[in-house]
Amino acid sequence: MMPAETALIITLVVFSIALIGVFVARPEVTTTRGGKIVAFLALFFLPILCGAMGFSTEMDRSKTTTFCLSCHIMEPYGKSLHVDDSGHVPAAHFQNHRVPPDDACYTCHTNYAMFGGIKAKLGGLRHVYVYYLGTPPAPENIKLYEAFNNRECLHCHAGARSFEEGAVHTADPDLMRAIKTNKTSCISSGCHETVHNVGTLKDAKFWKEAN
Amino acid sequence: MLGATRLERRLQLSGILLILGLLVEAACLLARGPIAFLVFVGLGGLLFAAGMLLYLYSLVSTGVEPSEK
Repeated sequence: MMPAETALIITLVVFSIALIGVFVARPEVTTTRGGKIVAFLALFFLPILCGAMGFSTEMDRSKTTTFCLSCHIMEPYGKSLHVDDSGHVPAAHFQNHRVPPDDACYTCHTNYAMFGGIKAKLGGLRHVYVYYLGTPPAPENIKLYEAFNNRECLHCHAGARSFEEGAVHTADPDLMRAIKTNKTSCISSGCHETVHNVGTLKDAKFWKEAN
Repeated sequence: MLGATRLERRLQLSGILLILGLLVEAACLLARGPIAFLVFVGLGGLLFAAGMLLYLYSLVSTGVEPSEK
């Protein structure tokens, strides 16, 4: 069934097309003052409104887990979210709803800096280019464009008791500062190094989600 | 049927571009996936921009262009 938001936009689009159609069929109606005002609404205001609402909807959709996993090459990454291992960082976050399950990929792989969302989407355009026009690597050979920044982890974990008072995090007074300034990586330092690891999935045990 | 004046023809062309843009938007909203997103942003955005810019141009150019009979 079509979501209410999409149905509303489609209704507005149909109304706009009908109104614009009047001006295409009878452009002489713009000679009157009322015609000019309605023409402005039909040929400028309504298209902007429809375009903005459609863009917002498409952007929201492009953040969903199903959108990311709709490319065949991403399937093993989707599968890795169901690994039954609490030390597997993406799986533990997905299964325990530490990230919204419907937006799981985007929550960790966006960039929590100014214009980070735009940068993430431009990265996505590069993915599409490589997927359709380039030579996509095997799933296990896919690498991030740049090293994973602790900022993305700290967006949620900073201030959380489990992080701020964690025994390992507080054992060395310099460690917390190094983590927060991205000098010591959460992942590549070896503390939380088990990420998607799609090359080893064939040996993994999987969690079966109850329906 | 084309309009009698240049302004009317520009309004018609602007309207046609916007209708095409809106049809692209509707199709992309009903479809799903990365290709629909790209078509919406690329083709839809281009048609919207062209239609609206042509409409705005037709407004500002009316004062300097005489009507055609």
